Amino acid sequence: MTDPTDAPLLEVRDLQVHFDTEGGTFRAVDGVSFSVRRGATLGIVGESGCGKSVTSLGVMRLIPRPPGRYAGGEVLFEGKDILKLSENEMRKLRGGRMGMIFQEPMTSLNPVYTIGDQIIESLRAHGWKDKAKARARAIEMLDLVRLPSPETRVDDFPHQLSGGQRQRVMIALALANDPELLIADEPTTALDVTIQAQILELMRDLRERTGSAIVLITHDLGVVAETCDDVVVMYAGKVVEKAPVADLFASAQHPYTLGLMAAVPRLDARTDRLETIPGSVPPPYLQLPGCRFAGRCPLATDHCRSAPPPLKEIGPGRAVACWRAPIEEAAA
Amino acid sequence: MTLAEASTAPAAAAAAAPPEDAAPPRRKSWFRRLLRDKAAVAAMTVLGIIIFGAIFAPLLATHDPYVNSRSVMTPPVWQAGGEAEHLLGTDGQGRDIFSRILYGSRLTLLIGLVSVGIGGFIGSMIGLLSAFYTRLDAWLMRLMDMMLSFPAILLGLALVAVMGQGAVPVIIALAVSSIPDCARISRGIAVGVMKMEFIEAGRAVGLSDRDLFRKYLLRNCISSIMIFISLRFGQVILIGAALSFLGLGARPPMAELGMMASQGRDYLLFAPHIAVIPSVVIFIIVLCANVAGDALRDVLDPRLQA
Repeated sequence: MTDPTDAPLLEVRDLQVHFDTEGGTFRAVDGVSFSVRRGATLGIVGESGCGKSVTSLGVMRLIPRPPGRYAGGEVLFEGKDILKLSENEMRKLRGGRMGMIFQEPMTSLNPVYTIGDQIIESLRAHGWKDKAKARARAIEMLDLVRLPSPETRVDDFPHQLSGGQRQRVMIALALANDPELLIADEPTTALDVTIQAQILELMRDLRERTGSAIVLITHDLGVVAETCDDVVVMYAGKVVEKAPVADLFASAQHPYTLGLMAAVPRLDARTDRLETIPGSVPPPYLQLPGCRFAGRCPLATDHCRSAPPPLKEIGPGRAVACWRAPIEEAAA
Repeated sequence: MTLAEASTAPAAAAAAAPPEDAAPPRRKSWFRRLLRDKAAVAAMTVLGIIIFGAIFAPLLATHDPYVNSRSVMTPPVWQAGGEAEHLLGTDGQGRDIFSRILYGSRLTLLIGLVSVGIGGFIGSMIGLLSAFYTRLDAWLMRLMDMMLSFPAILLGLALVAVMGQGAVPVIIALAVSSIPDCARISRGIAVGVMKMEFIEAGRAVGLSDRDLFRKYLLRNCISSIMIFISLRFGQVILIGAALSFLGLGARPPMAELGMMASQGRDYLLFAPHIAVIPSVVIFIIVLCANVAGDALRDVLDPRLQA
């Protein structure tokens, strides 16, 4: 499905995004590293508040500053650190070579402009001077995302479209300038299940057609299994596990990942109650000396509670941040 | 997946058809839709008549608005003792009220429109900028608080002392006093819009701050701001009248609706029409401006057409 080009398209190294609040510094993203190959799909999973959305905004440099700030790390796009680019250079990159799809299709389109105008605007911001050509391109994009009768719908306002149609428009908008990297922040969460399947199918299809790499942020392991090549699991602002998708589902190594998987209901086993991970995410301003998952972890030892586990390589493309790894199957 | 795709495809096609049929009515021009709103049509007709009367006052006036006559305090024609010569009667100095209303609405409308135009523009820009550039927010808003603590009447007094009596210092005083109100209201609206996801989406598409401000923030706030400004228009006319009453606005022989009302106060018990008629005209202007503003918002704001 993907050709293994060695140089990654996007490489995030030890990214730290902090928010200064009255209650103290909130380390939303605390030393996150991952890389995305050309044409590949990387999934970032984790529960609400684990920092996955902040990571995606951080890569686009869309963190509101203040209160947010980049406290360290690098975001290399084709080897260049975009955190060092000027705002002007960054603007060319955004919507140009990097596209983004948002979670809420209902509120992510400007309600006072037609969808065609919004796509045209994005095209014109990236060098399309001819308005007629830009309009033709907008219709072409709407057709590409399979919006019915794009020639007439191009003049519709967002409120005239359904949620699934709006998400298609968002995808058209993000892909209008042929981006090499597409960041999709929970693109299907706000949609109902049949539409979710259509949108995922569409994204898979478009990736094959356009060859752009995708970073897919989700909390849905089913979505990850279906669409991703590699997976990064995040917990409380840190990466706890990284693996190619098949390896992750075959033998997850971090107790948190195992907990997440156990929490997914299975079709082949009758259960009365769904599995949960006991406890909740530690409050972000709390500075824990050890592993942040230790309080909820069934395998935690005193060592886990006193020293933070480093993210260590355990195989090709695999890494895990756990003192107890590798975990034997019995533990799951 | 493909099954779901295939089974929903005809459904999607069917769903797409009705909007196609429904398309003509919703693509009607905003003007045509405005005409369907009876109250708005009535309000704008009345407002149009008053504006027409104000513009063509010299042609329509039956008398010279500044010349006294012998018939003092004549009631309007429909009342006992009314004269056909003076449609709306005469004031305490025997001047024809109908003619003075025509000339008076000229000045009143001018003062209202110009001051609200200037004040509303500057104020809403300050409000939008402080919502857009959060760094400026605290500074601009504290500045607005300072301006808010300075009453329009006092400002008018100071300006008249420096510039002399006339319409210009009144316009300036009213414009300046409209700025903080407009700034605070538009900031409130804009802060709400800035929290919407499409602002972030606009940034993610690579729009410049200028485009984002104009096309995403301003366009989403403008209808609400226009409503506020149309309400403010009424207030400004009233404050303008108060300033005239204090002798700060139009100079006495000149006709101005607010001043006419306050002069009529002296005759309220035996010739109430002198105060009531200009007041009713002010009331009609303010009411029609509000109704028309509201209707325009309904028509121009695509979010309300769902």
